[in-house]
Amino acid sequence: MTGTAEYGPLVRELHERAAKLNLPINGIFELTFVCNLRCGMCYARQFGGKRSPVEGRELSSTQWLELARQAKDSGLLFLLLTGGEVFLRNDFFDIYEPLTRMGFMITVFTNGCLITAPIAKRLAQAPPSRVEISLYGATAATYEKITGVAGSFAACCAGIENLIVNRVPLVLKTTLSRFNVAELEDMRQMAHAWGLKFYGSWLLARRPDLQGSEVENFRLSAEQCVELESTDQASANELSEAAINGMPWESDYNFYCKAGRAAFTVNPSGDMNVCILLPKPGARPLEIGFHEAWMEVVKYVSSAPAPSSACLACGERVFCGRCPAWSLMENGTLTEPVPYWCDIARARTKRYGRPSDPNPVP
Amino acid sequence: MKRKDDLMLQKVGGQALLIPLGAKVLDMNGMVVLNTTASFIWELLAEDCSIEELVRAVADRFEVDADLAGADVRTFVDDLYRQGWIEI
Ligand code: SF4
Repeated sequence: MTGTAEYGPLVRELHERAAKLNLPINGIFELTFVCNLRCGMCYARQFGGKRSPVEGRELSSTQWLELARQAKDSGLLFLLLTGGEVFLRNDFFDIYEPLTRMGFMITVFTNGCLITAPIAKRLAQAPPSRVEISLYGATAATYEKITGVAGSFAACCAGIENLIVNRVPLVLKTTLSRFNVAELEDMRQMAHAWGLKFYGSWLLARRPDLQGSEVENFRLSAEQCVELESTDQASANELSEAAINGMPWESDYNFYCKAGRAAFTVNPSGDMNVCILLPKPGARPLEIGFHEAWMEVVKYVSSAPAPSSACLACGERVFCGRCPAWSLMENGTLTEPVPYWCDIARARTKRYGRPSDPNPVP
Repeated sequence: MKRKDDLMLQKVGGQALLIPLGAKVLDMNGMVVLNTTASFIWELLAEDCSIEELVRAVADRFEVDADLAGADVRTFVDDLYRQGWIEI
């Protein structure tokens, strides 16, 4: 009568079911714009030191909770709290603690640097399903070269240890770039020494606000990315697994993920959008109601144009992760090819062979 | 017996799930899927109920005989008790 269905497949099945019914079961609340670190490759970075200078532009704790109540009535189940850096908000627990009594599966993304022992202890009283911390290097020199803040490596390690001591579920991840890829193995060893799961990603998106970004300077070459995904389990993502298994591309639909069908995001000012990387349509749930705002997001996605004819005709499409968000960030359209992805898709084809090719290049 | 208040029933697209609240997150490691009968019983357990009351309610609701309903109720209640999700 009760099922102990495996968590991963269950979550996938729930998302499939929700997408068919247009139920917003997956939501991201970006609690703040600002961060205490200034990583050059970050898509969200807005350095704010220790205090938020944009408090007036961000929803209050009461507004976040009102939004959560309405979202719950519409079906929200998986809730990610992220930023910026969520622990920069002095009222983080005024938002977090009531959320933990509402029946959400909560994940918190943080850089860990502000997680003192008292904060970890308080989180442990009603822990999220998972905290995810990004580790930017295995040494202070590399980590701080990326974050631009002296002392941040030690602070991050202390934050991790505070969470471990308090038994808060924790996963470590890393964003791989030219500056830290040499320390991948050492980061993995650190995670294992702490007894933590670890995964990495090398996809680096530009800023959705199209403001200056140093991301090109950080990206690995397409060949390096593909070498990593095919030899290193921790840096293989779902897409590369699909690519390796030769999963057929099933649809001409431009939005192939669950955004706008089962997932949404709300930015710190309270705009509801398709995803963090695609800040459209900017619906206003606190003004028109959550359900109406969600319907705007659904409409935006369902009326999106098809991918460009170049992409539809592309033989390497099965190995490509372009989506409207990537097109918007890289070339200001919702539909056109993204050269960063074209390079990766080409490198994958070279490595794995075309899906129909029985003799992939070894 | 009555259910404890550190689990919440959520329905997502017709699928009933038990979600842990507060410190319960640490023991449960995820969600629990309930079938229709189990989720009906869980709702009844918001109030103090005896096994006999649950059996009668399940038999009525699903139009099954008391033996079948009794077997279902006992299986589920045993499960709940073992997991520490109800108080007797
Ligand atoms: S973005 Fe490039 S690789 Fe991807 S489908 Fe379009 S043309 Fe092909």
